Amino acid sequence: MAVTVLLPALLATEAGGANAFEVDGETLGDALRELPIRDLLFDERGELRGLVNVYVDRQDMRMRDGLDTSLDGASEIRIVAAIAGG
Amino acid sequence: MAPMILVGTRKGLFLLHGDADRRSWTVDEPLLDGWEIYHAVQDPRDGSLYAAGNNPVYGATVHRSTDNGKTWTRGEGLGLPEDHELKLEKAWHVEPGRASEPGRVWFGGAPGVLFRSDDSGENWENVENVLDHPTREKWNPGAGGMCTHSIQLDPADENRMYIGISAAGVFRSEDGGETFTAANKGTAADFYPDDPFPEVGQCVHKLLLHAGQEGRLWQQNHCGVYRTDDYGENWERLEGNGLPSAFGFPLALDHTRPDVAFVIPEDKVFAPDVGGGNRVTTDGRLRVFRTDDGGKSWEDSSNGLPDRAWVEVLREGMASDTETPAGIYFGTKSGSVFVSPTTGDDWIEAAGFLPAILSVETGEWQ
Repeated sequence: MAVTVLLPALLATEAGGANAFEVDGETLGDALRELPIRDLLFDERGELRGLVNVYVDRQDMRMRDGLDTSLDGASEIRIVAAIAGG
Repeated sequence: MAPMILVGTRKGLFLLHGDADRRSWTVDEPLLDGWEIYHAVQDPRDGSLYAAGNNPVYGATVHRSTDNGKTWTRGEGLGLPEDHELKLEKAWHVEPGRASEPGRVWFGGAPGVLFRSDDSGENWENVENVLDHPTREKWNPGAGGMCTHSIQLDPADENRMYIGISAAGVFRSEDGGETFTAANKGTAADFYPDDPFPEVGQCVHKLLLHAGQEGRLWQQNHCGVYRTDDYGENWERLEGNGLPSAFGFPLALDHTRPDVAFVIPEDKVFAPDVGGGNRVTTDGRLRVFRTDDGGKSWEDSSNGLPDRAWVEVLREGMASDTETPAGIYFGTKSGSVFVSPTTGDDWIEAAGFLPAILSVETGEWQ
């Protein structure tokens, strides 16, 4: 089942200008790894970078099952960069 | 083709276009928004641009553009082995390969790592000998992290190259970058009073090779300015002869004259004292010092620079071009770019009020 992934501006630029992607996946991790900017979301160990926040249907993935969150019935994934830097 | 300056900043990459005299410059809109550009360089083989970028959320990467910065691509595989205890922390330096090595590009990063690409940055391979170097346990990070910031290729020998890592020292390869051995004899680590001349652990700030004299390299170190004439086997300390401080970061050379070098001293220290306490231009004066005699003597070469100035110029913040006479360039953390079209005889401010400048390189607008 396809889910819409919404990207913040920097990631949209890195993805070639598109700020939304339709991806398939049983879990949130599966869906994120389908994105053309997956190397910016995950480090070399495949771990989600610490300042990348992800919401599934407006709920923080950490309040659900993290990257194992099921996408069954989900419609929207939103990636939000944590406020960092200066 | 017009002269160009690539200015890496905390807020993206700026390209400056100059006139033929290199005295009038215009600033383009910034590129690579959101990325801190630690270093950007133009590949002289094909004109493409490379930028070592870091983002506090999305990590370290290398961007490449083949259309003067209009569009950019990122390569794959820029990370350390999955099972290694270390992870890639920062992107620091990109060095295009020799003209005889199409597609080869080198990349240096933190924590003291080196990568090689043979397809213009589409794919990267970690150099295992650097990551697992037998002396690594004796390396320590400097204030900017443990960064591989200098990569110098010997034009006389395709198997010989050098890297500079802070604070690990200078390392030389004789086998095309597969393995590296320490090349720090004569360079001090005054911050180790119990062992001021160790095999490794020196805090090299910038390392440059002069292509015009085989075996010659220069380095600005945390503990002095040095020159070698024997491929790094022995280094000679070059202070106490006109320089107002042993400490500084940037370094530039004149491609036409191997005996000419430029530094910008910071703090006011000489051995055995250790600099780095304040990291600001010596005596509150923005001064470039030039040697014309291989470092035997240095002279103030600051005509046109602001006299009262408390600024910082970072290790990647100084460059030279390939014109004759050679132009010398540097950028400050307070956002000014200065150019000397006369190899240090006089300076003009090419741009101001840019974001904090992290790197300066020269190129040609294609």
